[in-house]
Amino acid sequence: MFRDVTFGQYYLADSFVHKMDARVKLLLTLLFMVGIFFVKSFVVFGFVAVYLLTVILIARVPLRSVFKSIKGIIVLLVLTAVINILFTKGANDAEQPLWSWSPWNGFTIEIYANGLIKAGKLFLRLVMLVMGSSILTLTTTPVDLTHAVESLLKPLRIIRFPVHEFALIMSLTLSFIPSLIEETDRIIRAQKARGADFDTGGLVKRAKAFVPILIPLLVGGFRRAEELANAMNSRCYEGATKRTCMRVMKLSWRDFVAGFVAVAFFTGVFLLYGMAKKWGDITWLYY
Amino acid sequence: MKIIKLDNVSFYYKAYNEDGTVGRAMGVEDVTLSIEEGSFVALVGHNGCGKSTLAKLLNALLLPVTGTVTVCGLDSSKKENLFEIRKNIGMVFQNPDNQMVASIVEEDVAFGPENLGVAQPEIAERVYEALDQVGMRDFAKNSPHKLSGGQKQRIAIAGALAIRPKVLVLDESTAMLDPLGRREVLEVAHKLNKQGMTVILITHFMEEVLDCDSVVVMNGGRVVAQGTPNEIFDNKQLLDEVGLKAPRTVELASKLCAAGFDVDAHCRDARKLGGDVCQELREKVK
Repeated sequence: MFRDVTFGQYYLADSFVHKMDARVKLLLTLLFMVGIFFVKSFVVFGFVAVYLLTVILIARVPLRSVFKSIKGIIVLLVLTAVINILFTKGANDAEQPLWSWSPWNGFTIEIYANGLIKAGKLFLRLVMLVMGSSILTLTTTPVDLTHAVESLLKPLRIIRFPVHEFALIMSLTLSFIPSLIEETDRIIRAQKARGADFDTGGLVKRAKAFVPILIPLLVGGFRRAEELANAMNSRCYEGATKRTCMRVMKLSWRDFVAGFVAVAFFTGVFLLYGMAKKWGDITWLYY
Repeated sequence: MKIIKLDNVSFYYKAYNEDGTVGRAMGVEDVTLSIEEGSFVALVGHNGCGKSTLAKLLNALLLPVTGTVTVCGLDSSKKENLFEIRKNIGMVFQNPDNQMVASIVEEDVAFGPENLGVAQPEIAERVYEALDQVGMRDFAKNSPHKLSGGQKQRIAIAGALAIRPKVLVLDESTAMLDPLGRREVLEVAHKLNKQGMTVILITHFMEEVLDCDSVVVMNGGRVVAQGTPNEIFDNKQLLDEVGLKAPRTVELASKLCAAGFDVDAHCRDARKLGGDVCQELREKVK
């Protein structure tokens, strides 16, 4: 039932992007995510699309798997597009609706060119956002990502944020997902063998049918947690104090090159945004 | 030298009576035991006899209610000794999946040395040495959940070895494995023992007891017998009492012996036993 659940979507390849430091990748992805909100015109969206495609090509991940990540947000995409198209008024009073329909008195649906443009931009923004972040998860293993988060959050120790514990929880979660999936599968089969029925009936009945799965899973989870705690204690775990780490993360020339290019590109994007703000009449910056 | 000493150790678990009051359930009672450095000791008994409780008392996961546990001269009830004791006792548990802290083999093995605060270059050295000892170096970059049970358990042993302990405690580590996995784990344990490691093997498979230096039999939280495997196997009354059975080959050999065949009553090798019996029969026919 849950067998085809794959967590993480790491795509094994030997590329420039794969070899980059996970911390740099994480930071550049954040930069990309922020940067994309400063894109206001289709022309600049074009630049970003080229940037994104170049990164995908360098990362040697198949375009298909990048696009697959959009599947998860299709509902959101359609919903936001429809809402934007229906509820955006004209850019100014002079703009005439492209199409209007009044099913009954006092209620009209009007579609403006402005709404279409707005919806289009939002659509592009969301799609690129998801594609950009999927490049991170496609080229970085969850383990590397955990280490990167731990390393980047280190400064928070000053305000007593438990960085090490946070990272440990993340990595334990990652390592326990496969066995929990396996266990769920086993419980489902065991309950089916006892005549449980998960596939018929209404929503409520189906939801209720999952209780006999959840309870053993929860109980098993506690048992696992205790055994794991014992195993960790036996291996001298005493929290973060004086703990060292086997993995060393080193920046290489790749990270500097990629960082320089990305920062330069987004500086450009921010500059264009500023220009559009200042001289709103430069149409190619605005549309 | 005695590396582990237990003096009149008792431990009770908290249990709830039917009327809701807190009572106690027995874990181990009045156990006095000492383990020689470098020996291979098996701890046997059927389920619920206190074997695992005893194991947890050895590395201070549980502290005795009465009596003292001394490991390498350190009293386990003193808090300042805790770290040092755990450094000296490597522990491997039953379920391999519940001992893995990382999703990559080498990082899991590195967990122990990382906790000890070992410097980075030495961690890698210890990890690969430990993986070599259990023959799993080729899997260093793999994800543990894709390995077989025996392989996972060998990784868990490597995780314990990376701390460089003096004693390795295998707490029913073979119970969940198939025969092949069990053999893998036992081979590693015997190899480590030959290199000087003290091994304590907790099990309920009597076949695994065969090659041990000494066997400790537990029942109802108490140590009821201690001796060489052959001494234990010969004590039929004891084995019946605690619900254990000598390995099949040994049992057959002793029965054949009793029936007047001239075979070694402690023969462990079924093939050799068969050969001997055939030989004798052939001679009789002549």
